[in-house]
Parts: sequence; C-alpha cells; structure tokens
Amino acid sequence: MAESTETVADLAIDLSDVRKVYRGGVEALRGIKMDARRGEVFGLLGPNGAGKSTLVKIMLTVVRATKASGTILGSPIGTKSVLGKVGYLPEKHRFPEYLTGRQAIEFAGAMCRVPRATCRARTDELLELVGMVDWADRKVSMYSKGMMQRVGIAAAMVNDPELVVLDEPTDGVDPLGRRDIRDVLVRIREQGVCVFLNSHLLSELEMVCDRVAILVQGRVAAQGTIDELTRESRRYEITLGGEPPPWCSEGDLRVDTDLEGRSVLVAPKVEVDGLQTLIDRLRKDEIDIASIRPVRESLEDLFMRYVKDPRTGRHLPPGAERKTPPTAGSPRP
Amino acid sequence: MKQTLAILLDGYRELNHRKLFWLVLVLSGLVVVAFAAVGNDEEGLTFFHWSIPFPFVSTAMIPKADFYKIVFSQFGLGLWLSFAATIVALISTASIIPDFVDRGSIDLMLSKPIGRVRLFFTKFASGLLFAGLQVTVFTVAAFFVIGLRAGDWEPWLFVSIPLFLLFYSYLFSVQAVVGLLTRSVIASIIVVFLFWGALFLVQSGDNLTLMWRVTQEIVTERKEERIETFQVRTLEAEDLRSDLSLRASAGDEEAEEALAEAERDADIRVARLLRMKEEQEEDLRVLGIATEVNFWFHLANTMLPKTGETVSLLERILRDRAGLVIPVGDEDNTQRQFGAMVGPRDFDERMRKELGESHSVTWTIGTSLIFELVVLAFGAWWFSRRDY
Repeated sequence: MAESTETVADLAIDLSDVRKVYRGGVEALRGIKMDARRGEVFGLLGPNGAGKSTLVKIMLTVVRATKASGTILGSPIGTKSVLGKVGYLPEKHRFPEYLTGRQAIEFAGAMCRVPRATCRARTDELLELVGMVDWADRKVSMYSKGMMQRVGIAAAMVNDPELVVLDEPTDGVDPLGRRDIRDVLVRIREQGVCVFLNSHLLSELEMVCDRVAILVQGRVAAQGTIDELTRESRRYEITLGGEPPPWCSEGDLRVDTDLEGRSVLVAPKVEVDGLQTLIDRLRKDEIDIASIRPVRESLEDLFMRYVKDPRTGRHLPPGAERKTPPTAGSPRP
Repeated sequence: MKQTLAILLDGYRELNHRKLFWLVLVLSGLVVVAFAAVGNDEEGLTFFHWSIPFPFVSTAMIPKADFYKIVFSQFGLGLWLSFAATIVALISTASIIPDFVDRGSIDLMLSKPIGRVRLFFTKFASGLLFAGLQVTVFTVAAFFVIGLRAGDWEPWLFVSIPLFLLFYSYLFSVQAVVGLLTRSVIASIIVVFLFWGALFLVQSGDNLTLMWRVTQEIVTERKEERIETFQVRTLEAEDLRSDLSLRASAGDEEAEEALAEAERDADIRVARLLRMKEEQEEDLRVLGIATEVNFWFHLANTMLPKTGETVSLLERILRDRAGLVIPVGDEDNTQRQFGAMVGPRDFDERMRKELGESHSVTWTIGTSLIFELVVLAFGAWWFSRRDY
C-alpha cells in the first residue's frame, strides 16, 4: 500500500491485493501489491507468463480479477467511469483496417466521451506529436508496425489521460522511432501524468523509468527506483598498480583480478567519503592506483537476479502456477 | 450517446468497406427498376410498353395500386429482401462480432468507459445497419414507384422497414451469439443457415399440420352431418319395413310385394350406417393425431422466432389497414386437400379464423422477440463475464 509520506491523491495506481485464478486453477496473480505515482514513468518487468498482461488487463477491466483490492486514479479497480481518464495501448493492438489513422484516434476519443471539437483539435496535436501528420488520412491497413504503434500511442492519449498504460509501446519501432517515443513519454510525465510501461526492452525501461516493479510467477519480487533496487550491488572497483596490501581482504573488501592480470580491490557498500579513506590508505601504503570505477548493477542484471531460483540457481520456469487445493496438514501459503 | 453514435458510425464505415454491401444495394436498385417496369392494365400484365394478355392480373381483377403492393409484398420483400438479400447480408455481417472480440481489437473497446452489456447491444445494433439501410433504400424506392406508376402514395408500405429489421434481427441475434462464443466466422454462418432452415421446417410444419387439422375437422363435421341425415333416413326405412311387415302379416298383398324391397333397402342402409360410423371413428382418430402433431409443431414454433410469418405480416397489415384486396378463386369450387374434398372458401375462412386465434400479430412478433431477447441476454451475460 502507499507509503505514509504519500497521499492517496499522489497515487495513480494503488494496488494492495490483486489475485487472478483462471479456469482450470491456473494462478496468474498471487496477491499483487504495487503503487505508481502521478508524474512518474513506472516500468513493469517480468518474464513471459509472469502475469504482467493479466495485471494490466485487470486494471483496464479487460480481465475480471478473482480478487481486486486497490484503486486506479482513486476509484476502486473495475470502475468503468474512471477509464475515461486512462489511456491504453494494448500489446499487438489492431485497429480496424477500414479506418484511417485520424479516424482511429477520433473513435478512441469518442469512446472516452471527449467532446467532438476538442477531440479533433487534440487529434491534430497528437498526430503532430507522434509524427504521423502526413499519414493521418490513409487507411491503417497501409501502415507499418511502427506507424501503428505511433497511432496507438496517440489514440491512448486523445482523452488527455491522467494515467497512460502502454503495453510494449516500442514493439516493431525502429531506433529513431523508439527515441521519439521515449521523448513523448518524458513529455507526458512532465504534464503530471503517470506512465505505466510494460516492456521487455530492459535497456529502454532503464532510460525512462523512475520506478520499476519486477513480477515473477504472479508476485511482485521487487519494487522501487532503479537506484534503490541496485543499492546493494553498488560498489567501487579500484585497479591497483601493484600487489594489494593484506588489509584489502578485511570486512566487505575483496580482491579480484582483471583480464590483464591486475589486482582489483572491490569495495561494496562504500560511499564517497569511505572511498576517500580507502584511497588515503592505499597511498599511505604506496600502492599505485591505475583506475577507480563506480559499478552499479544494470536493470538486466537486476532482472536476471530476481528471475533466478535462489535454491537451484536456475531461472524460474515461466508461466503461472496451477493452484492446488491444500492437503490436510499442509501449511497454507 | 456519444459512444453509441461512435459505434454506429464505425459500423457504417465497416459496411461501407465491404463490397457485398454495395453489391446488394446495386442489385436492390435493379430489382426496383424491374419492379417499375412491370404493371397491369385492362388486358393483363405489362412490361415496359409491352402488354401480355394474362387476364388473371388485369386491372379488372386487381386494381393497379393493389397489384404493385402485392408484387412489393410477395416478391420485393418476400423473395428479394427476405431471401436473396438476407443470404448475402448474413454472409457479409458474419465477421462483425468475431472481429470485434478478436485479440487486439477487444482490448481497445473494453478499456473504454462503457459497460460491456451496453457495448454488446450497441455492436449488435450496428450489425443491423446492413439490413436497415438496405430495406430503407428499397422501400423508399418502391414507395415512389407505386406512387408514380399507380398514383397511390401508400405510407403503410414503410411498415416493411421495422418488419424486415425484426426478421433480420432474429437471425442476426443467433449469428452474433454464435460468433461471440466461437469467434469463428464460418461457424456463425453455418449455424445461422442451419437455424434458418430449421425455422423454415418448423413454420412449415406448423402451417401444414394446422391445414391438416382444419381439413380433418371439416371432414369430420361433414361426415357427422351426413351420418345424422343418414341415420334419420335409415330409421325411416326401418319404420317402413316394420309397417309393411305388419300390413303383410295382415294379408295386404301390396305390402307383401313391397316388403322384400323395403327389407333390402333397410338392410343396406343399416350396413352403410355402420360403415359410416366406423369411418367416423377413423376420422376422429386421424383428427386426434392431426391435433396432437399440430400442437407440438405450434409449441416449437411459439418458442422459436417466426421469420416467414413476420415478413408475411406486411400483406396482412396492407390488407387490414390499406384496403389491399387479394383476389380469391371461385367460391363453389372444391379442392382435394389431404385426400379429402373441401371447399376453398370454407377452408380459407376456418384457416383465417384459426390463424387469427393462434397466429396473431402479437403472438408472431411477441414470441419471436422473447426468443431474440433470451438469445441476446445470454450473449450479453457471456460477454460480460468473459476474460479477453
């Protein structure tokens, strides 16, 4: 649930317990607790079958939750009226081929009850924003995948939403287009809108997301800013010019060897002032310092860490688990 | 309202995109041209400026305006719109619901601030646009043809628009729900045509068994009357025999001579009366079967939508409200029906009475609408519970 420093009004998404059991007992979501704030880009990560799409679809009322405690823009999950303030780009979305790009955007606006004149003006603005002005009046059947994504993003924003949920928005988009989309996302965020991103492209998420959540087998394995999540893995690596002194193995310190055979003093959980102390000690022992490098775990490393089974060291199998009825005497989860 | 209009506009764009829609519209135009080309005069049938001597349809038999109304009702609506055009329409609109619930499309719709039930019904209504536009264009054109050719501007013709829409909606409701359940265009086409065929069989069965029952009732009643008459004559013959027998035993020679003839006549009559009573028992048994079979067919027909009967209501409405007179055959003629001879007027009167009682307008439309509502309610319930 929301932290005490935040008010409910700050939160665009505030989920406390979302569960989904599909027919046949497949448990797709097992008590999701997650929050995303207004004015931030929130990334949802997870391997295939982790339940990301199910979660997004529950928020958008496309899938009915088995249990859903929480709010979207302050209204309980499943409230239809609140969807007028939400923009959504589904994964592999398909506009009817008989529509032009402009008609597709205007149709999305009409479905969100945007007044006609406003809708038209906003459509023009959005077509400009996503770079589709020249193609606006052609049938979507003539569009490339990237063009479809651009129009899809415009359609998701036509109602001037307070929350935008984008499922794989850069899927099929070329590098230039991806950069354009990232710029668009940043601009939306600056308007105080919460952007909820579901993507497999971790490097892209890392570039734009303020906070992320990692979903593994229907549960939130980790949630926070990338900085918070990688704090434990932050370290300094000091490449030494000579043999390391004996104290380099004290406490958390350790010595590795780099590819050139040089000793590297690894100092985890050390802040800038602690680093100065280390440098002073090395200088005092007349050890040459070849380089000092701050190291942080990438989002990919973080992701891989969470999708690995700590007991076996192997990747957790993708997909949701089948719910089995508890047997007599077995502990309840 | 904005959302409803947007979905209907989208439905129109979808139709506009389909070539079959325009094909049917062009064919409807040709049917109207053909409709305008035919007519009747004192001689018989006319086609453009040619006159074909066919007195049965001459203006002496059918007034010009009535001729057009009958042609419109029986051929324009009954054959073209509610048969040929409907087949094309059902093929053309079969993909509306499967496309709507296809992955990628349905997410976009369900994530909007509109309830699923309303969404389903609005999408269903947009599917009826095909039929609605076709029948409207056709009826308006026919209205002008009848007005210009026969000088009769008959507003009751426009009843055909709601009637045809009702007829089409019965079938489209089944097609839509099958499309929703299976997400398959082919399945929805196959099922709706099988369903239509089944409806035809049930409706025909209901009508035929009703005709059988009515015929059997007429036959039974007539035989009843004949038996009663014959019974009186047989009693008279037996009385005569008794009388002659008494007189003969008293020595009346004349009576003695006539007695043999009277005994033979009385015996023949008694034997014939017995045969007639046996036949009557058989007729009553057949009437019982006809009544029971008709009951089950009528029950099935009551539970199902009445496609043919709904379209036929136009003729009934034009007859009742617009003074349409449909020519009938000679009153005195008899015709063989179900192996019995019945007078057509007698039969027609009884059939009309039976139809009025058991196949009223309220029954035809009311029970059909109940079926459609049940089907659509099931579809809406399914749609609102399903995950996509």
